[in-house]
Amino acid sequence: MIASLAACGGGESSDGNTGGGSKASGEPWILGTTDPVTAVDPAGSYDFGSWNLQYNIFEQLMTIPAGKSDPVGDAAESCDYNDPKTITCKLRSGLKFSNGDELTSSDVKFSLERNIAIADPNGSSVLLGQITDPKTKKLAEGAIETPDDTTVVFHLNAADTTFLKLLSTATTSIVDEDVFPADKLLDDSKVIGSGPFKLSQYKPGEQAVLEANSNYSGDRKAQASQIFVTYFKDPAPLKQAIQSGQVDIAWRTLSPTDLNDLEGKSGVKVIKGEGSEFRYWVFQLQNKAVKEKAVRQAVAQLIDRDAIAKDAYDGTVTPAYSIVPPGFGGQKDSFKEKYGSPNVDAAKKILQDAGVKTPVDLTLGYTPSHYGPNAVDEATELGNQLNESGLFKTKTEDAEWEEYQTLYKQGAYDLFILGWYPDILDADNYLTPFIRDGGFYANHYSNPQVNSMLDKELAETDTNARNDMIGQLQDTVAEDVPLVPSWNGKNVAVASDKMKGVEETLDPTYIFRFWMISKNG
Amino acid sequence: MRRSPLAPFRNTTGLARWILLAGALITVVFLIMALFAPWLAPYGFDQQKVGGVKFPKLAPPGGDHLFGTNDQFYDVLSRVIWGARTAVEVVSISVVLSVLIGVPLGLISGFVGRWVDRMLVFLMDALYAFPSLLLAIVFSFLLRGPLGGGVVAAALSLTVIYIPQYFRVVRNTTVSAREATYIEAARAIGAKNGTIMGRYLFGNVIQSVPVIGTLNAADAIGTLAALGFLGLGIQPNEASEWGYDLSRALDDAASGIWWTTFFPGMAIVLLITGLTLVGEGLNETVNPSLRKRRLMPVEMPANEPTSYLAEGDAAALGAGAPNFRRRDDEPERHHGDERHRRPAEPGAREDESR
Amino acid sequence: MSAGSGSLPRYIGQRVLLVIPMIWVLLTLTFILLRVAPGDPVSAAVGGKLNEAALDERRAALGLDRPLIVQYLDYLGQVATLNFGKTISDNRPIVDVIRDNGGATLTLTLGAFMIALIIGIPLGLLAGRHRDSARDVVTRIFGVVTYAAPPFFTGLMFVILVAPLGWPTYDIASPMTKFTVEPVTHILLIDTLIAGNFVAFIDVLKHHVLPCFTLGLLLSGVFIRLVRVNLLMTLKGDYVEAARARGIPERYVIRRHAFRNALVPVVTVIGLQVALTLSGAVLTENTFNWPGLGTQLFKYLTARDYAAVQGIVTFFAIVVVVVSLLVDIVTAIIDPRVRY
Repeated sequence: MIASLAACGGGESSDGNTGGGSKASGEPWILGTTDPVTAVDPAGSYDFGSWNLQYNIFEQLMTIPAGKSDPVGDAAESCDYNDPKTITCKLRSGLKFSNGDELTSSDVKFSLERNIAIADPNGSSVLLGQITDPKTKKLAEGAIETPDDTTVVFHLNAADTTFLKLLSTATTSIVDEDVFPADKLLDDSKVIGSGPFKLSQYKPGEQAVLEANSNYSGDRKAQASQIFVTYFKDPAPLKQAIQSGQVDIAWRTLSPTDLNDLEGKSGVKVIKGEGSEFRYWVFQLQNKAVKEKAVRQAVAQLIDRDAIAKDAYDGTVTPAYSIVPPGFGGQKDSFKEKYGSPNVDAAKKILQDAGVKTPVDLTLGYTPSHYGPNAVDEATELGNQLNESGLFKTKTEDAEWEEYQTLYKQGAYDLFILGWYPDILDADNYLTPFIRDGGFYANHYSNPQVNSMLDKELAETDTNARNDMIGQLQDTVAEDVPLVPSWNGKNVAVASDKMKGVEETLDPTYIFRFWMISKNG
Repeated sequence: MRRSPLAPFRNTTGLARWILLAGALITVVFLIMALFAPWLAPYGFDQQKVGGVKFPKLAPPGGDHLFGTNDQFYDVLSRVIWGARTAVEVVSISVVLSVLIGVPLGLISGFVGRWVDRMLVFLMDALYAFPSLLLAIVFSFLLRGPLGGGVVAAALSLTVIYIPQYFRVVRNTTVSAREATYIEAARAIGAKNGTIMGRYLFGNVIQSVPVIGTLNAADAIGTLAALGFLGLGIQPNEASEWGYDLSRALDDAASGIWWTTFFPGMAIVLLITGLTLVGEGLNETVNPSLRKRRLMPVEMPANEPTSYLAEGDAAALGAGAPNFRRRDDEPERHHGDERHRRPAEPGAREDESR
Repeated sequence: MSAGSGSLPRYIGQRVLLVIPMIWVLLTLTFILLRVAPGDPVSAAVGGKLNEAALDERRAALGLDRPLIVQYLDYLGQVATLNFGKTISDNRPIVDVIRDNGGATLTLTLGAFMIALIIGIPLGLLAGRHRDSARDVVTRIFGVVTYAAPPFFTGLMFVILVAPLGWPTYDIASPMTKFTVEPVTHILLIDTLIAGNFVAFIDVLKHHVLPCFTLGLLLSGVFIRLVRVNLLMTLKGDYVEAARARGIPERYVIRRHAFRNALVPVVTVIGLQVALTLSGAVLTENTFNWPGLGTQLFKYLTARDYAAVQGIVTFFAIVVVVVSLLVDIVTAIIDPRVRY
């Protein structure tokens, strides 16, 4: 069956370059996923499903190798800081798009410029703030210089040591300026990139077929000649598909029950890698109930993360003791250091010392419609933990995601659950969005010391000094408790025994590196 | 199979009575479950542990958990019993509310006529023609913010769907009764509009309400479960709701875990069946006026001003609207002129027995 | 009815004219309900990621900051010119959505109808023929129960029973089939035949079995009821009595005269069931992950994709209204009494 598939796919590709077979001769394989694709055009998406197709179809200037956290050159041979505000990138020579067009520095500039100009509502142009003119909302004048065909120079609005990492995200994918329109998105099926694969067939919401790009000359060499991606709407059919061998890999996202069931099945293996998904409980500091720091600290003292991970998520997540997940420079388990294991007496003492009357009434908020069906289990579990201490009297309330967003900003909940995926793999991406002046969720937390420390940390080029500051920030968060970290997700895939290379790509970037994976018949 | 001329009638009555009885029995069992849930259910609907020890997760039926436990550590038997309470609460609130709103509106619309009637009919028909599941979904979006994911929000979402049904029946009955002799007589002796409506018309049109009410209740159980199944209904820590439990069971089904699906699902089926049987039984026994009117072909005033939407077309649209569990043999179709439209209307069942 | 005169063309003309305000009302209602419901496409997509200012910028880019009345008129204008536009959340032409996913809904509903008829007609005839007997009672109860069982429950039970056997329980085809079959008509069952791929055809057919049965069972209850009542009525008809009086054997009377006449009205009622079928399809599709319009509708509804939801609802409305219009016209032609 696979053989006939390959033959058929090969037939479809005859319009393009047929020489691809010589480079990538591995067997085709099928990936099943529930992550939907918003747009294949890099200017129109800000989600995992789309980004993952783009990582495989396009090159970025930088790329993050599997299991690493620092970017290396991709389309660029090298990118280096001249100073914290200036970066020079040298492109590899002889770069070509899959249609044969040359890839030059002008394509790089075009790609970023159009991304900012289009500012698609589903897009991620917001990440390019460092090169965007805040007034015109266009590419800032002189922000990108292209002195010659292989040189790109970036001038940032402000010092930013995370920009190199940003250049490795799919948002900065390099597109062909002769193919993509400058002011609007290109149709999904027509995209042209220079990555290890090219898109040979695409049906929105259904499937995508990738085939090895024979014009690709970089290090991300494709192992398989063809890769089929099939999109599922729910975990249940995906689980059935991997179990019955209809797909070779199921990646993102199976339910905890399914994973446990598959764990013991023969023919497939459940592979867990480090993840960077982050779930946390935020205090609404304008609410009277939690204005008092002691109340927040008491909650941090009581929360039993192990029980939440085990009971609400079947152990498919890792308890989180800091707002920065493990694996990032400067990460430390500040909450564990400060509070140790859950302890009712210690919590009682904190409240007594501050003269807080117990039990404290607390409204917990969650949404059943955005963070999966297990959010309610987590809310129930946390509520029970707080109630059982006798120090709190909680009630849980919920709202559908849309309404939830308004409600938590308005202060309908004292403590509410939110989730986060990082845009770039840098500790700062877990700090600035959360603790600078109330963060994006507007919980009215503001600490001038924290703000100035954030500025310093972003401008610091010395790694050790920066890690130190990041550590201090985490300690401050554990002391002030504007939010309580709950758990970090793992990056889980289920693969048939024949698949190789899956384990390696399961890292906190959530980049699924198709090129690394092969199937042995 | 020749019978004596009287046999069919006697049999029908017997059968109708039997159906009514069976339905009533099932319904009463669920009512008892609803009323006495705290005593009947072994555990609370959101109880996860007893004596500080957590229940096993997804334990098969048997032992301490007769129907097993689900993936939320809840006892399935308790969830099923408490679910009856939720269903009864939601459905009674929504049926009562839609009767309270739909009946007076229909009465006024049918009696007053003119533009009031036309406007109301148009509005109600639009609501009626709108896919009811969609309507319920959107209203649950709307109501869950201010009211939370509880019983009241769910009940109100359902109310919106069912108001038009009462309105239509009552209005059509009112329109046809308006010109009836006894109303003419009342008018002749100088009765005021309010009196006519309240005393004469109301008594007449209200007879069909219990039948629609029961059938609507059956329908509402289904819609409530559908909302829950789509994840828009009542939250598990607010109350136990069968549809929600089924949505959680989706993942279990592929892993061969049947008890989390089977028991709540059977509860839905049984309660809907019970209510439907009661409704049908009622329709055949309690409401002879309905049957009688059915035999008299034309009661519709020939020049009824509300025209198209009010009658024939509304029926076509109403019946044609995408509506989960719309019953094509609802008693409302027996009214007005609609029965001429399709010679073999299912609602005309049992007519021939007289 | 005010249309006292009864000429057929006039009646049809009136019915056709009425379609337009009815669709307009549906569109308006959809528009209002969507806008009143909390949230919008922007907050649904990136609400947890961006701050309010960035969200507002995106709303403005979509034109959602314009006055509602302007957006409404804009929308009506689009519908009037049959320009459905693109979805907001994933940038697909809405016509494509309807075309790509409509095929799956079509085969699902047609299959369900076939099953409903295959189950419903014989059982209905059986029940009507042996009125008030045990068979009648059992059949009627069967009808009530199948109608009472929500499709998602029936569907899940099927999945539990059949999944261990390896029978396909989700989706319209296995991934292989989807990759290999070229879309021509966008109705997969037909496309596999056009491709001459028999293996794929069988695969798609197998995938149809459970969903069609689930929805078919739901509908069969309606048909059982309907056929039974129709048979009872025709058995009372003059011509049946006349046939009996002529001494024609009862079995022959029933088979020759009553059955056929009892089934004629069923044809028209099939049309009216489109509605029930469509919303039953929404739930059935969600249970089986069927790539039809029902799942799409729900998906876009949660994404607050105004354009997509409005487009799909408009399409549903047109289908329903047109089908009931056709049924009315057919009925009017068959039975002149209908035109009051």
